Amino acid sequence: MLENISNLVAAFLTLSIFSFLWKDNPFYRFAEHLLVGVSMGYAIPLVYKNVFIPFLYTPIFLQRQYALIFPAILGTFFIFRFNRKLAWLSRYPIVFSMGIIGMGVPLSMHASVLVQMRSAMLPIMDINSFIIFIGTITILLYFFFSKSHEGVYGKFTKIGIWYMMIGFGASFGYTVMARLSLLIGRIQFLVHDFLKLI
Amino acid sequence: MNFFEKLQALDRRWIYLLVALAITIPLVVVFDSKTYTTTPTENIYQLIDSYAGRDDRAIMIDFMHDASTMSELFPMEVAILRHAFQRKVKVFTICFLETAAPLVDYAINTVKEEFPDIQSGVDYINIGYKPGALYLPIVLGMGDDISEAVKTDAEGRQLANLPMMEKIKNYNEMNLVIETSGSGFGASWFVYARPRFGVNVAAGITAVMAADAYPYIQTGQLVGILAGLKGAAEYEKLVDLFAIHDKPFSREIARTTHVSITDDTVPYKFKAARIGMNAQTVVHILIILFIVIGNIGYFIERRRNKELN
Repeated sequence: MLENISNLVAAFLTLSIFSFLWKDNPFYRFAEHLLVGVSMGYAIPLVYKNVFIPFLYTPIFLQRQYALIFPAILGTFFIFRFNRKLAWLSRYPIVFSMGIIGMGVPLSMHASVLVQMRSAMLPIMDINSFIIFIGTITILLYFFFSKSHEGVYGKFTKIGIWYMMIGFGASFGYTVMARLSLLIGRIQFLVHDFLKLI
Repeated sequence: MNFFEKLQALDRRWIYLLVALAITIPLVVVFDSKTYTTTPTENIYQLIDSYAGRDDRAIMIDFMHDASTMSELFPMEVAILRHAFQRKVKVFTICFLETAAPLVDYAINTVKEEFPDIQSGVDYINIGYKPGALYLPIVLGMGDDISEAVKTDAEGRQLANLPMMEKIKNYNEMNLVIETSGSGFGASWFVYARPRFGVNVAAGITAVMAADAYPYIQTGQLVGILAGLKGAAEYEKLVDLFAIHDKPFSREIARTTHVSITDDTVPYKFKAARIGMNAQTVVHILIILFIVIGNIGYFIERRRNKELN
């Protein structure tokens, strides 16, 4: 019974969102606003239970770890973003967040640049590595803008453009597939879970 | 106004209707279509299967998405959990997004309905939601001791006291992390955990990100990927073909054997991705037709304009 009611609500909201394809209407706007409200309403108590209680309330008030008061106060500075005069205070907690990002720079360099470079420098043993080799070289040449793309050099950069176009095409094809998958998921819900046609 | 001119001026809502029909009809009238498995999917299956029946090996699924990408990622999670529960592979589940927490429960419960003997704390541990701010300390801390990095599971039980943790301490035992994600592809795991602790990383991703993820397979940073609904369909097939019959994996058999989805022996939830791929196939053909007709119309119109000028 409960499942039927939840399916009915979900089907109504799904169709309300789809109704935008016809034109903008109150059902669509209602479903859109409800999504934002429910997401926030769900997140706030969950974060309170899983973050505020175990990492702030319990250590400070029950375990007497008073040193945590300082980062707690620092965290509240984020709220000053909304006050024009005191907005500068919100930069301090941001500084700490940026520090964590900085910590990731060397490892990101390793994982995203150095390992990729190493992999591009392997001996050409098969047709795949040959294709990758040509693609890497010609695309790098394309992004070298200190020389005009003419003559033999221009022919190489043109090959680079072709490689990029194929790459963009693959990405676009995957994007179409992904968007259709989302639609398939919703229609699967409507015909299987809601209408029980299968 | 000729046929092509009429098409150029067609109201887009007719196209929406055709797309909706091209998706709905194959979903209602299910037919058998072949699912070809690919190496990135097979690699993940093979690695998980190698942990079958071992108490000193485990995998972790990191649910890094909310309901918006559920259509693509949920069938993957269900297929992997089904594989693990069937082959007695220990599983950890975790999420760092608040909105992913109910999806973890939903995925586990969906699969558990078919496996009544599977027990929380013994066969799997749902760590549940952990704040995003603790992502890095947890990813790095698990390299030393999982039960220290995340002290409690989703039910508030101490991890160290759970039977599953007897022979599992860190990444040496929990040697595969699969991130199912709508926004990244296991990047944090292979940036932070793989270089330092050697953990294997795989990714279940939406199709949008698949093209970006392939370079990381070539370098070995990712063991494999499940790319969109197609990846989920491939994994579903492998589970039906091998795991459910407790058969060892064979790449040759996987690529040459067809598994039917029209019989009722397999519940719908375990073939949802393959049925979805039927619709995907039909609608792709329709889109290709649209593109071809649209281009023909464009070139005819361009030639006519040239002639008029």
